[in-house]
Amino acid sequence: MNLTVQAVGAIVGFLVTTLFVVHPTPSLMALFVFVAQPLFLIVGLMYLKRVLRELRERDVL
Amino acid sequence: MLPFPLPSLLAVVTTLGVVLGVVGILLCVRVLLVKPEDLTSSRPVRLGIATVPKAAYLKLLAFAALLAVPAAAVAVANYHVFEGVEEVRGCAGCHTMWPMVNDMQDPQSDTLAARHFRSRWIAERQCYHRHSDYGLSGTANAKMEGYRHLARYVTRTYPEPIRLRGRYLNRNCLNCHAAMAKFEQVPSHHTVGDRLDANRMTCLNCHGLAHPSPADRTPGSSGYARLMLPPALREPR
Repeated sequence: MNLTVQAVGAIVGFLVTTLFVVHPTPSLMALFVFVAQPLFLIVGLMYLKRVLRELRERDVL
Repeated sequence: MLPFPLPSLLAVVTTLGVVLGVVGILLCVRVLLVKPEDLTSSRPVRLGIATVPKAAYLKLLAFAALLAVPAAAVAVANYHVFEGVEEVRGCAGCHTMWPMVNDMQDPQSDTLAARHFRSRWIAERQCYHRHSDYGLSGTANAKMEGYRHLARYVTRTYPEPIRLRGRYLNRNCLNCHAAMAKFEQVPSHHTVGDRLDANRMTCLNCHGLAHPSPADRTPGSSGYARLMLPPALREPR
């Protein structure tokens, strides 16, 4: 379960999201909308791909 | 009656957002610290009412860190994107909108926005009410326009004075005014009724400026410095 890339991506997403929630300026909103949200989506898809691959390797799927 | 005041929705959203952000970061750091041998460990881990093997616990942790908590954090933060931008403070967040907000709150101003504000004709969310066309598609279009404005603002790819892209639909005025007896009593409203309905003429033709003129909002003009002061937001009086 090597999820280093996903975890680092999620940390960046969480940092931007937290800053935006505390201080909703236009710049942070742009970072949240155009960077953090897509990053969370990519991280989630990469994670799901890894889960599916692991389930296939174990003949669960 | 509660002995303490309820927190505002904004305070709840901010607190929840910070909690989710911190929890998410801590979970991700824990995922980063997972060693290969942890995934073969059968050592039990107690999770409140259940006891699971360590490997299963770490997989649950990864699910929370990479899917569940991010989804919750995005949902909470989107309050600012979908609800916060409907507030006047959302518009006042960009300095290009300061002339409109300052003028709207100016008790001496004769623009339509100022007259609506001080007369409390629109009690709250004044900018959004008058700039989002009615209906679901109007709301969706307003949000999409908001994304475009955001991108233009942060990339500084806008000219001053800013101008409304597209047309301001008379329906936004008529939705309130057309039903009023005072509106019906004006003969010219009946004369130009068809043209107003079809948006072939605008209410501003007779009723004056909605906001400060582009000339006043042009950098270097006499009114520019006054209009560009950071606005102190207040309720209509």
